[in-house]
Formats: sequence, structure tokens, C-alpha cells
Amino acid sequence: MNMIEFKNVTKVYEDGNIALKNVNIVIKKGEFVFLVGPSGSGKSTLIKLLIREIPVTTGSIFVAGRNICNLKASRIPQLRRNIGYVFQDFKLLPNKTIFENIAFALEVIGKPAYAIKVQVPQVLKLVGLANKVNSYPHQLSAGEQQRISIARAFVNRPPILLADEPTGNLDPATSDGIMKLLSRINLIGTTVAMASHDKSIVNSMRRRVIELEEGEIIRDQKRGVYGS
Amino acid sequence: MIFRPKYFFGETFSSFRKNFLMFFTAITTVAITLFIVGFFIIIVFDIQGILSSIKSQVAIAVYLKDNVSDELKTYLENEIKSWDEISQVNFISKDQALEKFKKDNEGSEILKEIQGNPLPASFELELKSPEKVEQVALRFMDKDGNFIEGVDEVIYGQNYVQKLFSITAIVGTIAFLIIIVLLLAAIVLIFNTIRLSVHARRKEIEVMKLVGATNWFVRLPFLFEGFFEGFIGSIISVVLLYFLSNYLLIRAEKALVDTMHIKDLAILGNNNIILYVYAGLVILGGLIGVFSSGFALKRYIGV
Repeated sequence: MNMIEFKNVTKVYEDGNIALKNVNIVIKKGEFVFLVGPSGSGKSTLIKLLIREIPVTTGSIFVAGRNICNLKASRIPQLRRNIGYVFQDFKLLPNKTIFENIAFALEVIGKPAYAIKVQVPQVLKLVGLANKVNSYPHQLSAGEQQRISIARAFVNRPPILLADEPTGNLDPATSDGIMKLLSRINLIGTTVAMASHDKSIVNSMRRRVIELEEGEIIRDQKRGVYGS
Repeated sequence: MIFRPKYFFGETFSSFRKNFLMFFTAITTVAITLFIVGFFIIIVFDIQGILSSIKSQVAIAVYLKDNVSDELKTYLENEIKSWDEISQVNFISKDQALEKFKKDNEGSEILKEIQGNPLPASFELELKSPEKVEQVALRFMDKDGNFIEGVDEVIYGQNYVQKLFSITAIVGTIAFLIIIVLLLAAIVLIFNTIRLSVHARRKEIEVMKLVGATNWFVRLPFLFEGFFEGFIGSIISVVLLYFLSNYLLIRAEKALVDTMHIKDLAILGNNNIILYVYAGLVILGGLIGVFSSGFALKRYIGV
């Protein structure tokens, strides 16, 4: 089953900058895919298109078989509930505890309190930070904060997890831990797509690598490495 | 969307606790600006009240000739009483007039000069509608311009009355304009403050949007907050205004009554209008709060 499909997708920004040129990608359910390429190659644009933060210029994008390009604005929240999103800068809310940060993601999509009470400790256990429930983000290390951010993205068990440079702000040892976590989430059956600059991580994982350059796919390789 | 009051109130309350400084700023801004607006409105109503008290005391004095018979006097009195414009008629006899004169000039040299009673008897007329003073005064004249039988003179301070009316009109217009300007300033100031408090939480909005919250789910807690900020702020301003008008203004008005000899001053303490002013301020505060939040959110909600 195709989880994500880009068909002849072109994205031109309002300032005339062409971010993606006629891109075709198929990602199957349960795959782990790296998006690599220099800054400005179109990795982030790809991810933003997937969660409908920005609209496509031409072409179509399918998520779980549904074309998301002609989605009504009122249906966009539904799409996003099926896609977990991990940021490079974590985007944890500083004035909420770890529990509240994760619970927040469930509350705002209308989950009942009893479900939240069960799901939050579960996901914290998954990311290995069950003991930090009542801490505030600033009391955690950067690696721990990223784990919390992943926990928040995954707490709703979305079938797709997108990560935009999740290890961009972390040292190599901490990055390894994050990659193990993402692998575990992938093993449960989640489709993971991760944009990365980090050569050593991409090389050590030996997963599918899609390389972009100036908005075009120049390489799509199973069990690939960072540089060809 | 399912309405979940527990979440919304909980969220409003907890963000109240956690963004205390922002809330404090917004509430104080609402309280201070609406206080200034309200204070001005009260002052204006007060001035209008004082002016209309003065106006209502516009009176006509009708002096009678010394040789007027009791019959003529009674006839005149009944005639005057039958006019619609008249609210009250007092007869002051020659003796009463002298007594009052003595009282007013106690200890003065003048009293020694007085021989017999040179003062005339008179009617003092009070009017329901002071604007008609001239019309009423003219009834004491015949068509040749002479006073009717028994009347010696009619006095009603013509120039003074006309000036008073035009001053009242000007004061009213200027006050209305100032209130409008103050109100606009208050609205802009409150709007900007609440916009800042929304701006300070744009990260929260971004996260909400990206985890799939619907627009209304993002919006409602902010609208609640805006409402509470406006509502609490305006309540504070009304409480301040209440004490101010009860203590300071009433004291000032009493002083006015004493120095200017104005009877029946329309003090605000017993005036229903002030209740409408208070209610208006509270409603206004709540509305500005909700609308400011709503407008401020527009920019951030389109992630």
C-alpha cells in the first residue's frame, strides 16, 4: 500500500523561487526514508506540502490513497492528526510541564481526559522519559527535549511520522539515541520520513535515501548512504 | 466540534496563571482606559445636571403695584396657576418682602435708611420649561407694551437666560466629541495590548495547528481570555468609578450647592443614568476583549 505518493509535483513560491520541479515519489506503508540534500534543495518544502502548510503549484499528493491537494480547509486538521511532525527546534511550550505538553496535543484534538491519562505515560515510557512527567522543558537536556517532541508527535499513534532535521541541534551520541527511537517507532509499523544533513547517521542506518538538488530528485536508492 | 467546557475553562484558567504578566497588563490597560472614559462621562453628566438645575430655577418675578386690591391679586394668582408652563407660584407680600430684605442685609447701614415699607408685593413664578420664559413674561403686557392692571414690573434676567442655554448646548457638543475620541483611544489601546498577549503565544498556536487542532479549538480559549481580560478590567474601572462618584463628586456637588444656592441639584448619586454608564462600560469591555482576541488571532491561525 502506498502511504505517500507525489505525482509530478511542482512548487513555485510567490517570490518566483522554484522549490520543487516535477517530483515523483512513492513511499510504502512501514518504510523509513531519508530525504537528503543541501539547504534549499527542497526537503522542507516537501514536508510542508505533506501537512498542507503550503499548497502545491501543480501535480498531486496522495496520503493513504487520498488526494490532499483539493482538501477543504476544514479537513486539514484531520489530515494533520494522521501525520506526526517532529521539529528541529522541538517547539515545546516552555510554560507547560512535560505531561501537559504531550497532553496538549491530545486535548486540542478533542481526546477525553481518561484517554489522555493512559496515553501520555505510555508514550513517555516508549521514549524512555517516564520519570520526567512533571519537569519543565528547560530542565531537560536537548536530547531529552527532542524525545519529548517525538513523544508528542507520536502520542496519537499517527500512521506517518515526519521529522525535519530532528538531530540538527544534537551531538552524535544523543543523535544515535534519537535514531534508535525513530527506528523503534518505524518497527511498530509507522511510516517515517526524515530530512537530514547528518552524513554519519544516514550512512549508519542504511535505509532508503532520496537525494534532492535544486528541487529535483537526483537519486532514490534502497539501503543508501548520504553521498553517492 | 464537540464543545468541551472543562478544557476551555481549564485552559483559560491555567494560562491565566502562567501568563500572569500578560493578563495583568491587559486587565490594567482595560481598567485604566475605561476608567478615564467613564470618569469623563460622569463629569459631563454632572455638568449637564448642574446646568439643568440652574435652568430649572429660571424664575419670573412679577412685582405688583401697592394699591392692588385683594380681588385683583386673587384673580391674577388663579390666572397664572392655570398656565401650563408654570410649575409653582409663590406670593410674597410686602411684609414678607421686607422681612427677607432685612434678613439678607442684617447689620447693614441700609436698614437704618429704610422708612416704612418701600418694597412691593410680588409673585415668584417657577417654570416647567425654562425655554418659555420670554413667552410667559410677555403675557403680563397688553398689546401696547404696557403692563396689565396691577402689575408694576416683570423681571426675568433675559440676557442671562439666553447665554445659559447656548452655553449648555456648546458644552454638550464638545463633551460628546471628547468622549468619542477618548473611547476610540481606549479601544485602540486595549486592542493593541490584547494583540500583544496573543502574539506572545504564537508558538502555542503554531503547535496546536500542526497537531491538527481545528480553528475553533485554537480560537475559543483565546476568545475566553480576551473576554475575561475585558470583563475583569471593566469591572475594576466601574468599582473605582463607583467610589469616586460616591465620595469625591458628591462632596464637590454639596460644596457647589452651598456656595451657589442651587436647590435640587441633579446629583449623580441618585441618578439612574450612572447605572447605564456602568453597564455600558462592562459590556464594552467584554466586547472589546473578545473582538481584539479574534482579530489578533486571524494573523496566526492561518498556519
